[in-house]
Amino acid sequence: MDRAAQPPAPRKGRRRVCLWAGLASCVLLTWLAGGRALVAGAQERRYTVAFANLTEEPGATLEGTGFTGREVRESFALAVRRYPIDLVVYDNHRDAQKALANVEDAIKRKVDLYIQYLDDPATNVKIGQSLRAARIRALAINTPVPDAPLYTLDNRAAGRIAGEALSEYGAKNWRGLPTIGVLVGNLRAQEHRIPDRAQGASEGLKRHLPALKITPLETQGNPAQVAPLLAKVLATHPGTKVLIAAMDDASALAAKSALDSAGRLADGAVVGQGVDRTVHGGMNDRKEIDPSNRGSIVIGSVAFYLDRYGYETLPIAMRMLRGETVAPRTVTQHRLITAANVFIEYPPYDMN
Amino acid sequence: MRRKSLFVVIVMLVALIASAPAVLAQTDCKTVVPPSPWGPNDQTGATNRVTSAVTKAAAAEIQEGKVVVMSYPLGDGIPLFGTRFTKTILTATTLAPGAALGENQLTYMEDTWLSQSHVGTHLDGMGHIGRKDCYYNQTPMGKFITQNNMTKLGLEHLKSFATRGVLVDMVKVYQAAGKFKGNAACKKPCLEKGTVITKADIEAGLKMYNVTLREGDILIVHTGWGNLFEQYPAQNAVYNSGEPGIGKEAGKWLVTQKIVAVGSDSWGVEVIPGEDPKEAFIVHNILLTDAGIHIIENVRTDLMAEEADRTKRATFFFSMTVPKAVGLTGNFVAIEGIR
Repeated sequence: MDRAAQPPAPRKGRRRVCLWAGLASCVLLTWLAGGRALVAGAQERRYTVAFANLTEEPGATLEGTGFTGREVRESFALAVRRYPIDLVVYDNHRDAQKALANVEDAIKRKVDLYIQYLDDPATNVKIGQSLRAARIRALAINTPVPDAPLYTLDNRAAGRIAGEALSEYGAKNWRGLPTIGVLVGNLRAQEHRIPDRAQGASEGLKRHLPALKITPLETQGNPAQVAPLLAKVLATHPGTKVLIAAMDDASALAAKSALDSAGRLADGAVVGQGVDRTVHGGMNDRKEIDPSNRGSIVIGSVAFYLDRYGYETLPIAMRMLRGETVAPRTVTQHRLITAANVFIEYPPYDMN
Repeated sequence: MRRKSLFVVIVMLVALIASAPAVLAQTDCKTVVPPSPWGPNDQTGATNRVTSAVTKAAAAEIQEGKVVVMSYPLGDGIPLFGTRFTKTILTATTLAPGAALGENQLTYMEDTWLSQSHVGTHLDGMGHIGRKDCYYNQTPMGKFITQNNMTKLGLEHLKSFATRGVLVDMVKVYQAAGKFKGNAACKKPCLEKGTVITKADIEAGLKMYNVTLREGDILIVHTGWGNLFEQYPAQNAVYNSGEPGIGKEAGKWLVTQKIVAVGSDSWGVEVIPGEDPKEAFIVHNILLTDAGIHIIENVRTDLMAEEADRTKRATFFFSMTVPKAVGLTGNFVAIEGIR
């Protein structure tokens, strides 16, 4: 046997080294196991998160769309299933005093994080101060709370998506024909940031049709005003194609109806804003934007996803709770929803 | 002349290629759906697991000879998915005066049953759910459908379902864990719609009756939601509005348990609304499309749950007959649990 190939006989010093190494390994393994248990424990830890909704007044719609507060709350109730979160839901009733009372209650409950949805900047400042004093982290929706990350709509981007879709449609289908643009809806509603939406829509409409003349039609939030206003425009522009950027879906549907009444369906194309259940449905509940209705002059609507606020904000909340850095501002990824993608974006599961 | 012919051939080839985008665009199903563990020609799926040994072992569950009904009545007015409908029409012409046949005055009656196949207590077959145009075992289904039926993956390829059934009582699990949330429309305790049944929940349900799943089993999940079906037509809208059911994690775990089927007292077995609002019936994909594991919907589970509670035994012989319906994607079934 080759002596060089044999392991050297353990000497006293080497034995001691081995002993220490073994001991160290044991300590390391124990620490790792403990550490893992700690990590597992951290994953299993449940948090209490409060969500103060803007309003749940029946029928009250939010952000100049057709969504209601109930849909926002339901999105939180569904999204929270994914997380180790116990959700406490408040209704701010769009009221400063109620909002302040809600945050006081949440502080008493010692919630881990507070999601504030209130369109009142001054009250949000006070709420931010209260939460900071109680060392509770905050996340704001649509209206800032000082020092809190903000999840927000981008009305100008949404308007631009609608305008560009219409502009592309006009350039593709009506090249060389007299065409005008129309903005219709609650155009001056600053509280819903509709002026931003309208500005974006104007920019988008001119994307492919830079010389397009755009007419604003102010409805003051009443979709019933769409028909008479649009009828006047149609009457003064016979033989003209009309690209209609509606500021909400109710106005979009009213615009289609007005074109139909005037016998001018072939002269119009409409894009709405919101994509709530009034314009998209399911297997049984067929609505305007539907795969079986591809020929509609309502070529689509820009999604605002208020029915997914829970799914959008709770992941941010979880990152904050885990001590991770989050972006100071996260913007809704608005998208044009058409008959071609509505069932991809909103897979139906209805049976009714 | 020869050069001209060559030119014509090239032009024709280019035209042919250009005119065949649909063919070229067909999905490569090998990248979309995993292969079957039973080989590239398999059209049977998980009933391959019901071997004679599995059936023989399941027969040991028959100890009292007690038969427990596990299907709901099939008739007009029951809750139905989407645009599905049922309509029964009785043909009884020989009952009319003078219409009886022969000196023996024979009369007869027959039914016309108009319906889709996925109604009432029913089985989802291999051809029911796909991803794009790809179905179980990487089948490019576009090549295998006619106007009338499928020419591949039909029910006629299924083997027996004579195996062991295992019931997990999610109502009891949730009550025991102190996390039960019911629905007021249920006359007996039921989990609320949207409740995600997890792997841990199923394991707790198995542990409750000291059972472990074994290859070839059929898992039956009692949620209580079926009580709304029993009240038809009064609670059809509530029943249809959603359901408690298994989530993605549980679905994936069940695949590893090598079971044959999962059934539940709900219209879709999986949780609705789903865990991700942008996914459609994803657990159906996980079980049926990817693993060939059947889904059995609208199973009547309350009687077996009561039986399990009474006897502290949650296993039974699963007796279900599926017609050899050629080219069908599924069919209504009758199920009995024999103890």
